[in-house]
Amino acid sequence: MDRNQLIKWIEAPAKMAHKYSLHAVYFCTGCGIIEIPPAITARWDAERFGVLPAATPRHANLFLITGYVSLKTLRAIIRTYEQMPEPKYSVGFGSCPINGGMYWDSYNTIKHLDRYIPIDGWIAGCMPRPEAIFVAVTHLWTLIEKDMADGYKRYRVHYSEYRANQERILGALEWPPLFPKE
Amino acid sequence: MSDSLRDRLEVVFKDISSEVDVDGRLTVHANPASVLSVLGFLKDDGYDYLVLVSCIDWIDEGALEVVYVLSRYLDPADTDGGRVPMLLKTRVPRESPVLASSIEIFPVAEPHEREIHELFGIRFYGHPRLTPLFLEREYEVPPFRKDFDTRQYVEEVFGNVPPVGEGTQAL
Amino acid sequence: MQVLRLILSPLAALVIGILFLGLSRKFMARIQWRYGPPLYQPLIDILRLFTQRSVSHGVVFDLGIILTLAASFVIVLFLPFGGLCPMSGSGGLLVVLYMMLLAPLGMALTAGESANPNSSIGISRWFILALGYEVPLLLVLLAVMTRYDTISLVEIVAAQRSHTSSIATFPLVLSGVAYLLIMPAVMGLRPFEVVQAPQEISSGPMAELGGRYLAMATVQHALSMFIGISLFVNLLWGGASNPLVFLLKMLVMFALVLWVNAAFPRLRIDQAIRFLWRWPTFVAFVGLLLVVVIGD
Repeated sequence: MDRNQLIKWIEAPAKMAHKYSLHAVYFCTGCGIIEIPPAITARWDAERFGVLPAATPRHANLFLITGYVSLKTLRAIIRTYEQMPEPKYSVGFGSCPINGGMYWDSYNTIKHLDRYIPIDGWIAGCMPRPEAIFVAVTHLWTLIEKDMADGYKRYRVHYSEYRANQERILGALEWPPLFPKE
Repeated sequence: MSDSLRDRLEVVFKDISSEVDVDGRLTVHANPASVLSVLGFLKDDGYDYLVLVSCIDWIDEGALEVVYVLSRYLDPADTDGGRVPMLLKTRVPRESPVLASSIEIFPVAEPHEREIHELFGIRFYGHPRLTPLFLEREYEVPPFRKDFDTRQYVEEVFGNVPPVGEGTQAL
Repeated sequence: MQVLRLILSPLAALVIGILFLGLSRKFMARIQWRYGPPLYQPLIDILRLFTQRSVSHGVVFDLGIILTLAASFVIVLFLPFGGLCPMSGSGGLLVVLYMMLLAPLGMALTAGESANPNSSIGISRWFILALGYEVPLLLVLLAVMTRYDTISLVEIVAAQRSHTSSIATFPLVLSGVAYLLIMPAVMGLRPFEVVQAPQEISSGPMAELGGRYLAMATVQHALSMFIGISLFVNLLWGGASNPLVFLLKMLVMFALVLWVNAAFPRLRIDQAIRFLWRWPTFVAFVGLLLVVVIGD
């Protein structure tokens, strides 16, 4: 953790600020939500890393998708992700967003979350322990440091493909495209 | 108690059969046409709490079996020794599954029947809204039926979604 | 020299307000047996918020939050900080009293433009809470003004420095107790944290503020905490001739308020009003009555 290295703050203050102030939108998907309260309460304190739960997506810059994503949940996830201000980072938590996990042959869950919203990193496990959240946060710091956590930029660039995938699975979407084609 | 109930049922309704299993649980088998009258009789008799409505797919026999689980709230004068639920079963053919809705007798059956319609395909006539409750997409074969191939469905629908860009990068 | 004071006073309030925010998080963390973030964490949060691309809902949305922040900065100019008070002319206390209500007003403009029902609920709660604590606050201020026969904060502080702190003199001790009872409401901490309520109404008025608007709202929150405590220390605890002693007194009061914040849950808005209009109002009213009757 290089939070106390003043020289880095002077060189790249925005990057350091994004690393050490990751507020996660408290969106309770699936099974993994049971692992978030232990991580933010007294035993495994997440606030010392700068990670706090945020009440609304407008205040947040980290999105943890903590479990299986059914089709109804995917609708809510897309709306929440699009409301977050940029730069924003999204992390898939558990094995269900990665490849369907335990629900690999279910008729109602999506199998690869990466094809609908951009994901910066995955945490494997079913469910991962709270320590895994902290390992993921430190990995995310490294990614931010190297400018590799560019999920939001990919969303902008490939928006038409993401939207096509979303409409393919969910049918017609009630909200207009976030980045309209000029 | 359940024995006297059996006797009374068999007196009133000619075309039902019933059995009692080892736990003292009564199961009544009825025809689809007489389900509503049996439910009304049982409700007047004291089984006024519909716990749930469920469905079983007997694909080899070509029938869908709808199960009503009824119970009664605890009555201090009840010598039955506890709340033992009773079952009412009826079978409808798989090709054209239609059944009368039991909402007039038990209004609480509305979401249960909606779920069974969505997942098994049984049409309950008299139900005010048989719209989807859990599912977002349309399915040719209702998903809980045993001839619904989940693996093939998943490969067709979710496997054919193209990945975007280069996907997530490894660190 | 005056220009220097005009710049230094809000700057000091900003730094101390942000230090208080960090101190509150560390303090609450230690009470809850965990480590907590470093003291400069609010600075990191504000920096991060300023670098985020935010969504604006219109011109009034932008102007409302600027109004709130400007009101808080102007109030700070009138409050003596140790020996430093840029606007030390007469009439300081009345200006502070009026401007304190501009903060919820500006936020109401912003929250109205947000078109979010949570913001509307939060703003209505904020106004009702302000109605609740303004009544005993007014009675306390009237008692102090009558006792020292002036509406200038600098003269009140000077009078206390020559004799003794107000809270140690007889009728004003009741006003002091009343102010202590309503201080969590003035600062927006538990048990009167009903305005923010993140678990209930998604942060109330701030539900649609992202990026730089949230940064400004956080700065305004820091300043309102500074104002609440600074008013108490100046009116009832003698102020100070020296900024460091003033800061020390503020830290003691802040620790007291944080202890209360850690121990209490959140009251409902009707419970809050019922409390604020009952005992603090009664004690402040008795204090005012005694000050008027006893005289000097």
